[in-house]
Amino acid sequence: MSPLLSIEGLTKRYGRTVALDEVDLEIRPNEVVGLIGQNGAGKSTLLKLLAGVQQPDSGRLVMRGSPIKVRNPAHAAEQGIGMVFQEQSLVPNLTVAENIFLGRPNPGTAGGVYKWRRLNALAREQLEKTGSEISPSALVQRLSFADRQMVELTKVLALEERTDGDLLILFDEPTSVLSAAEIETLFAQIRRLKRRASIVFVSHRMDEVLAISDRIYVMRDGRRVAERDAAACDENELYSLMVGENRAEDYFLDADRKPYDRSATALEVEGLTAEGSFSDVTFSVCPGQIVGVAGVIGSGREALCRALFGALPTAAGRVRLRGEEVTMASPRDGVRLGVGYLPAERKHEGMVAERSISENLVLASTPALTRAGLLSWARESDLVEGWIERLGVKAPSARVKISQLSGGNQQKVVLAKWLALPHLRVLVLDHPTRGLDLKAKTDVYKHVRAAAARGVAIVLLSDTLEELLGLSDEIVVMRDGRVTGHFPDVPDTPPSSEELVKLMV
Amino acid sequence: MSPVNISRRKGASQRLDIGGYLPAVLLVVLVGLVVARDPAFLGVASLRSVAVQAAPILLLAVGLTPVILLGGIDLSVAALTSLCSVLLVSWANQAGITGVAGVVALATAAGAVVGVVHSVAQVPSFIVTLGALGLYSGLSLEASDATNTPLAEGSPAISWVNDYFAGIPAGFVFGLIVLAIVGLMVRFLPWGRYLYAMGSAEPAALMSGVPKIRVRAAAFALTGMTSAMAAIVLVGRTSFGSPTLASGLLLPAIAAVVVGGTAISGGVGGVGRTLVGVLTVTVVQIGMVVIGIDPVLQNVIFGAVIIVAVALTIDRAKLSVIK
Repeated sequence: MSPLLSIEGLTKRYGRTVALDEVDLEIRPNEVVGLIGQNGAGKSTLLKLLAGVQQPDSGRLVMRGSPIKVRNPAHAAEQGIGMVFQEQSLVPNLTVAENIFLGRPNPGTAGGVYKWRRLNALAREQLEKTGSEISPSALVQRLSFADRQMVELTKVLALEERTDGDLLILFDEPTSVLSAAEIETLFAQIRRLKRRASIVFVSHRMDEVLAISDRIYVMRDGRRVAERDAAACDENELYSLMVGENRAEDYFLDADRKPYDRSATALEVEGLTAEGSFSDVTFSVCPGQIVGVAGVIGSGREALCRALFGALPTAAGRVRLRGEEVTMASPRDGVRLGVGYLPAERKHEGMVAERSISENLVLASTPALTRAGLLSWARESDLVEGWIERLGVKAPSARVKISQLSGGNQQKVVLAKWLALPHLRVLVLDHPTRGLDLKAKTDVYKHVRAAAARGVAIVLLSDTLEELLGLSDEIVVMRDGRVTGHFPDVPDTPPSSEELVKLMV
Repeated sequence: MSPVNISRRKGASQRLDIGGYLPAVLLVVLVGLVVARDPAFLGVASLRSVAVQAAPILLLAVGLTPVILLGGIDLSVAALTSLCSVLLVSWANQAGITGVAGVVALATAAGAVVGVVHSVAQVPSFIVTLGALGLYSGLSLEASDATNTPLAEGSPAISWVNDYFAGIPAGFVFGLIVLAIVGLMVRFLPWGRYLYAMGSAEPAALMSGVPKIRVRAAAFALTGMTSAMAAIVLVGRTSFGSPTLASGLLLPAIAAVVVGGTAISGGVGGVGRTLVGVLTVTVVQIGMVVIGIDPVLQNVIFGAVIIVAVALTIDRAKLSVIK
């Protein structure tokens, strides 16, 4: 059977980073293709190229036997390619019906004027495909996240009536915020769609990919590394293909774990509440202790982290640092009081991409490097060289732009920014290993352990429970903004993943 | 994962850091063109007139540079200069050097207020400074009764700008000194680091504890101060104050900064580049006279120059939507 779409040698670079490296894929008619890979493997980039959001640097796409170019998402839609975006592409201040027909000849208009009744009826028809009860006249901004995801899907399904040939529908991590029932609806839709569409399904949850896909491609570091029939492989195989190497024996460096001082507290949180994010959160961290916070999206743990650093206002509760009550109105207060925050979004909040390693590394501790108000370049260079060496940052010099480093080395510099703060007492790590490869992750673990060993209290959020269990001395579980569980001694009596998950959802 | 954003897709490839050598090459080419037409252009008298002409623009552009490095803009500088010219004449006539110092202090404070309002109330700088522009224009009309006020004969607190220092007009030397000081401040004060960090990636800068209100207030206070200084140079040259004295200087001053290679989207550039930009703008101004183009068309040129220079240097990746 000839493929619906052949992807040949597709390459995309962002500056020096090669996001996609000569990728060849084939999507056959009426099949579901699963695409898996770690963060940064190139899955989202590939989908963006297919949907016309970005343009490839080289390579070509052949659809139904003839080469095509996809100039933009509207152009993609004309050719029967639709994408359900991970970050949503709906216009919040328009109605559901308007959004569904946005960007294409609108059947609900006459002479350019809306015929609301007709438009809503047509939208209703489309919405029924997903079995959803969303009102076509509702404003999108009033909908829940999951409902919006359904509208997003409906918008793509509405392509069905517009093209003669088979559709190609791209799903970028569609299930990450859906409930189990909603995921079932989505899967039923995907199975129904298979009759007249091919589907590319990206997810980081391997059980889902295995359940819905006919064929699976594994990506790693911008390359296609494997192709498997879904029926003939299992999660373990996919995992090792995805990660690409086998882990070291003591992956989380348990041997580097030092006993911490249980008599003192570095950080105490009591009844902390932030409107709409979390409420009545109480826990404490000793100097040198690593406390992990477990929870799903919406648990409020990200917001909690930001509040501990002054980046999110709180409505009630107390925060004490070494026994002294403090108020943090801004990150500046947090930094002044010795709290560091490693953000989940390194590129956005962690680093100033256009500036040098050196400037990034001292950004938080610049005032400590002045003499009579003037920057001492000698002190700066001593400090920077010292940390570059301790953390093993690979760079030609401290003067190169941080954006020229690999993700792992960038993260080391951002980590060093906080470790270099002379009065650092508490370090909040919001997904510190996100998007890093195995080696870089291990390096981060090593330096987190080292920071704990010198007495820094650490609050940790992780992408995986495994990482949380591997690193933490204590785990706090959150659900819907409240603390639902507390495991004070993880190394000696570790909770099982099942136990944690039960408290999380 | 970066958010899906259509306007971003061409960002990186379309931005040019023209900072290095391009502006300097442009300056040399322009000088060459003017000299080809009028070989006397490189004579002492002619270069002195370039320096005299450049001095107020230099001061304004130096003050604007840190604000633009932050990714902001100050549209009120020329209006503040006009207001200062009116105040200078009346205060210098009454109180001499103290009066002059008072005007500089007042303008600095006004700039600081603008910076704080912009930063605390989170109003875009172009709106706050557009409002300030209106405010300053109205106040200078009010303070001057909409007329030109002459400077009293022999006001040493101001007339020094017409002297020569080592053969160079003193007003221009003054501008160069201010440029050097601001250059050193950017290089050796933490403030300088913060300017670039906030201009390049504000969220990351704030998450590192950069004191954003102080950084902004200082930058706008500096533009206030240099506006008053530009007024001193202008009043010295013309020997009167007027509510419209500097109204033609806004466009050339902004043009000077961006032609020098400081990106309007912030984070890239510096005051050294601004010097090249100021000379370029002045050579264009004088060259138009030499070549015989009606000087009335000046702003046509500067308007076009700003658009082209910004189109070449702006970092589109920083703008979520271009509007």
